Amino acid sequence: MDAELAKRLVTGLREAGIGFVSYLPETRLSEIVPLLRADSSFMVVPVANESEAVSISAGASLGGRPAAVYFEGSGVYVSAYNLLVLGKRLGVPMLLIVAYYGSILDKRNSHIYAAPGIHLIPLLQSLEIQHVVLEDGARLEDKMKGAVKMMHAIKQPVALLFTGEFTV
Amino acid sequence: MKRSDCYEFLAPRVTDQLVVGSLSGQRVEWAHVCPHEGNLLVASMGAALGVAVGLSLVLPHRKVIALESDGSLLLSLYNLPTLGNLNPPNLTVFVFDNEVYSGTRISEPSATSGNTDLAAVARACGISRAVTVRDLESFKREATEALEQRTLSFIVCKIEQTTGHRQIPRPTEDLWEHKYRFVRYLEKTEGKQIFLGRG
Repeated sequence: MDAELAKRLVTGLREAGIGFVSYLPETRLSEIVPLLRADSSFMVVPVANESEAVSISAGASLGGRPAAVYFEGSGVYVSAYNLLVLGKRLGVPMLLIVAYYGSILDKRNSHIYAAPGIHLIPLLQSLEIQHVVLEDGARLEDKMKGAVKMMHAIKQPVALLFTGEFTV
Repeated sequence: MKRSDCYEFLAPRVTDQLVVGSLSGQRVEWAHVCPHEGNLLVASMGAALGVAVGLSLVLPHRKVIALESDGSLLLSLYNLPTLGNLNPPNLTVFVFDNEVYSGTRISEPSATSGNTDLAAVARACGISRAVTVRDLESFKREATEALEQRTLSFIVCKIEQTTGHRQIPRPTEDLWEHKYRFVRYLEKTEGKQIFLGRG
């Protein structure tokens, strides 16, 4: 991802009020990790599994620190149960920052990524998780603020799916 | 050693600590023995420890207690390397290990009935104060120390399989109500707003 776009993404998270990020690193958006770490407004927690990222961020959110989870699209599959029982059934606001691999606009798409990419939105729909696809930096900050407002309003997870220019 | 005896010992010692629990008999039993506003009983296998870790990180001045079971922890062993590296000093983890999936009602043995030693796994992940207790006196000693000290503690409690919780009425509170009770308690005791109407 372009360095300026990575910077805008992290600034956008901070300005939207996110103060906690758990993550499992991946390829497409990884430039945000050192920026998150360098910004003292974020508590940044690396994990071993995306399900764990969801449960840890759920605890942070219920403890009063607006929380996000950052992972590849595969993380939605891996953490689907925790997204359901913590995010939906218990009702915990959290922002999902998802590298939308395997999508049509994914610039690194291949036979390896396409299948999970194709099923990602149907999976989010089946979980009734509100989501927005971001292809480029147009109105990035507005979309991030809107997603955070939505997660607070419904007290459930909301997903931002990054593809296109974010996957360079 | 019975889980209920351990709970009877713990309950009067819970004042302003936050208690995160998982599922099944331990949820019903703990809610009955200790109906504390700071309980967050998530009613799910494999999630309680992670939620407790998140709470302990953002509320470092509060003691957080996780009530886990062998089945729930085995489902989420990925928590242990993370926990060993984060090492939150305000977190105490109790794993009530009856060595069976008792909720199945056929008492299918769990891995801990065989060769798996959860305290050894925890130590190998960097949780230095990880012990196994097999009798009530040892439990009382380890629990007292863990609750008094500011050190990450991981206590595997070998317990009998019991069915006493099946005689206890299930909580009628639904999970959103339960969450709001917990959050309002935190807002009151922390003096800050947690749930925002808007971002």
